[in-house]
Amino acid sequence: MNKKIIFDRNLMYENSSFNFIGNDEPGGKASSLILMKDTIDSVFKDNKYNDITVDIPKMTVILTDIFDIFMKENDLYSLALSDQSDDIIANTFQKASLPAFIDGDLYSLISKIHKPLAIRSSSLFEDKMYEPLAGIFETKMIPNNQFDTKTRFNKLVEAIKFVYASTFFSSSKNYFKAIKKDIEQEKMAVVIQEIVGEKYGDRFYPAISGVARSYNFYPTGKSKPEGGVVSLALGLGKSIVDGGKVWNYSPEFPAAPPPYNSTNDMLKMTQTEFWSVNLGKLFEYDPIKETEYLVKHTLKEAEDDDIIKNICSTYDLQSDRIYSGISGYGPRIISFAPILKTKIIPLNEILKKIMKVSEEKFQTEVEIEFAMSYQPDNIQSARFGFLQVRPMVVSNKFVEVRIEDYKQEKIFIYSNHIMGNGVNDKIKDIVFIKPNDFRAEYTRAMAKEIEQINYSLTDKNINYILIGFGRWGSSDPWLGIPVVWNQISGAKVIVESSLPDMNPDYSQGSHFFHNITSFGIFYFSCKSTQKIKIDWNWLLKQKIITETKFVQHVQLSSPLKVKVDGRNGTGVILK
Amino acid sequence: MSRTFNAFEMAQKQFDDVAEILNLDEATKDLLRNPIREYHFSIPVKMDDGTSKVFRGFRCQHNDARGPGKGGIRFHPQETIDTVRALSMWMTWKCAVVDIPLGGSKGGVICDPHNLSEREQEQICRGWVRQIARDIGPLQDVPAPDVMTSAQHMLWMLDEYETIHGGKYPGMITGKPVGMGGSLGRTEATGYGVIFTVREALKEMNIKPADTTAAFQGFGNVAQYAIKLYNQLGGKVISVSCWDQADNTSYTFVKTDGINVDDLLAITDRFGGINKEKAKALGYEVLAGDKWIEQEVDILVPAALENQITKDNVDKISSKVKIIAEGANGPTTPEADAVIKERGIHMIPDFLANAGGVTCSYFEQVQCNMNYFWEKDEVFGKLDVKMTSAYLDVSRLAKEKNLYMRDAAYVISINKVAQASRDRGWI
Repeated sequence: MNKKIIFDRNLMYENSSFNFIGNDEPGGKASSLILMKDTIDSVFKDNKYNDITVDIPKMTVILTDIFDIFMKENDLYSLALSDQSDDIIANTFQKASLPAFIDGDLYSLISKIHKPLAIRSSSLFEDKMYEPLAGIFETKMIPNNQFDTKTRFNKLVEAIKFVYASTFFSSSKNYFKAIKKDIEQEKMAVVIQEIVGEKYGDRFYPAISGVARSYNFYPTGKSKPEGGVVSLALGLGKSIVDGGKVWNYSPEFPAAPPPYNSTNDMLKMTQTEFWSVNLGKLFEYDPIKETEYLVKHTLKEAEDDDIIKNICSTYDLQSDRIYSGISGYGPRIISFAPILKTKIIPLNEILKKIMKVSEEKFQTEVEIEFAMSYQPDNIQSARFGFLQVRPMVVSNKFVEVRIEDYKQEKIFIYSNHIMGNGVNDKIKDIVFIKPNDFRAEYTRAMAKEIEQINYSLTDKNINYILIGFGRWGSSDPWLGIPVVWNQISGAKVIVESSLPDMNPDYSQGSHFFHNITSFGIFYFSCKSTQKIKIDWNWLLKQKIITETKFVQHVQLSSPLKVKVDGRNGTGVILK
Repeated sequence: MSRTFNAFEMAQKQFDDVAEILNLDEATKDLLRNPIREYHFSIPVKMDDGTSKVFRGFRCQHNDARGPGKGGIRFHPQETIDTVRALSMWMTWKCAVVDIPLGGSKGGVICDPHNLSEREQEQICRGWVRQIARDIGPLQDVPAPDVMTSAQHMLWMLDEYETIHGGKYPGMITGKPVGMGGSLGRTEATGYGVIFTVREALKEMNIKPADTTAAFQGFGNVAQYAIKLYNQLGGKVISVSCWDQADNTSYTFVKTDGINVDDLLAITDRFGGINKEKAKALGYEVLAGDKWIEQEVDILVPAALENQITKDNVDKISSKVKIIAEGANGPTTPEADAVIKERGIHMIPDFLANAGGVTCSYFEQVQCNMNYFWEKDEVFGKLDVKMTSAYLDVSRLAKEKNLYMRDAAYVISINKVAQASRDRGWI
């Protein structure tokens, strides 16, 4: 698809799946989809795989020149680049006006669409290798189900301005600072895309959303890194990209369960809540809130919608066994067993095919976001929506880590669950959660304290090793420390140490993890049960530079040596 | 303004031509070729120097079959009743072509605001309303700003009207300041509307705006905003002309690599006159006022006064010109129009091209009646949709029936108004 089809309100919206408003650039996200459009259309004849529709949902892209005019005509740069709070920036952007010549196009567009829409960022730097910016800018989902065009138009305009404003939110500014780029060079295109899903009463959501990566940084069992990994969730993909509880599997072995120690672990780690677009009464009017129209539900509501029978398993207490599908009244486990094991639809085959062609197109490993919807009683006619693709960074440098080569007293940290590949021998600073003060209920406070230390270190261009408990970057504070990327932007090595009661599965689908891998950050996961444990005694004897309630920053006289062997999944930090 | 030129005769001729095409009956022709009502009155004003002066005022209501009358009030030293009659008729067609439920009116006062103090202008405004207060209003006839009248004038008129009628009637007049019952986007609306139609014409010709150049006559409100939007679309304006009050003549300012509207605005007086010395310093070539029409451009936008493209200068239009978009009312005489038609230049007629203003005025009335005011994006979104849809209707008919664009626009409008008059049982 080489030629951009300019949006023409006089043509039926149904006639073209991609069109454009403006003259300049479509940004990273939209460019990737444009690149994949012809491939998807040619690989899946008539956009079908068996009876399943496979396509990229229709989208209209507002190109970057519109952003330029918006910023200039409303004189927004001085405020946008200032230290004003996100709320003030977002509110000011709401009061500004879009260029007059696109208002009519948007009004016409929205008059033809009555389905929920995702208004997504697609910036110049976004989703490019080494500059991933995954999840840094905001996406706003709108129900778009109001009767009158005027209201739908206003909601669309509010969402576009919100995405524009997010270019200059503090998280974005810190991020640009971390990657040493000038935020003034950033330009934002906006993708207006139909959400893949079905309406269930006042809820609209896909039965399945997922992230598939063609390289697995945490292969388990028989799976290999090159085999890739898929994360699946019920409802909107927010559960995955925020690092919530989801189902991970290897596309090579779709029927193999995740490596949980017990059924109890599986029950603990299964998805229990999901996100949908709220089609009903609005809880609060707040155009500067990303989740204004999103609601979280329990599995009970999905069961009422008759949607989980095709994606869940049921635990039977009496036999202590897990059965595929809905069987009796036991607890449900969102394991996607009917699809992955019984193969009632060929989701895994579609994913493998798509990952293969995407890798060929990008000539590197890729990460894909997708969503699938179906009528509960007609799953064979499901729709697979290809939502996003971005290249992954996988280093090919040859590094060997053989634990037997090192004396025990030289090892500070060892892990056979690592992410990344390479060597770093320049880091002298370590920021860590004080092991004796860690409590899951205080993880938010810990995130704040880390942010402060990160800020002072990045200001001095100092990189550090970050050590903590539970899953870094989880949106669920009970699973780990809920930092966002900009709060730890100076970390070059991140270590997560699991605790007996905090042992989450690796969240490979989240934006947080994508950014980590793209920036070549080494990630060590140390199980509480592993033989070679973190040498806390040595760490606690080092020179303290800063100490807060939960966090300590120490500095060594000479740098540590960090070696990560990505092929074998082992890594070591030597004193 | 030429002495021989009579805008009303021109408007009637245009109507007669289309009446012929439509085969209208005599009664309908009689009804529509003249205003249904007109008011002539005197406005005595105590001047600042203590003397008294009587100004002549008018209001013509051409036709209100489709809804309350709508039309501006002009302050101009050379105002005539025939000009006001013509303009009221054009307002009827204009409201009909963009399909807003309003009729056509126009008013005026023979005066020169350049030579009047603010207080004197206020007295004229209040005096005008006192004479006509019983025959205008939100349900009868709604005035608006026009040549040399502004939001401030409208507010004085509203205040006088509300004093007379003893209530609040924000929908009595439009073009009020924002925050005082005015609509966001009203200032930009006419100029933007011109460019919305130009954009659609270029789309039909498969030409990108970025590949075009334009020359504007006039640098008032309409031209300024039209140029801004045209620039945003990527087009380049190489010349503007404007009236110089001190020299009592007009000049054309040319910059072949594109004028900078902000630079020019910084050296423009409140009546749209550009300081020619400062313009020269900015690299502009300053030519005689009539040179705007000779520019080698793709688009000509007459956005000043009526009777500007005549049989005397129409041949000076460059062969490069593909589109003429009439930002002003009646800028082209019928003789010149015939030449333009013959040459195959795409004409976007005045009552279509500059209908953005009245459309936004209609939005203002709607907002006033709801007492709920819209965001600018909503105003422009609806304005664009209305203007584009009107343009496409006219263009489609012109192609289908092989009509000149002006004739096609008249056919649509006159048909609608004639039908409304028949539906009401008037004829």
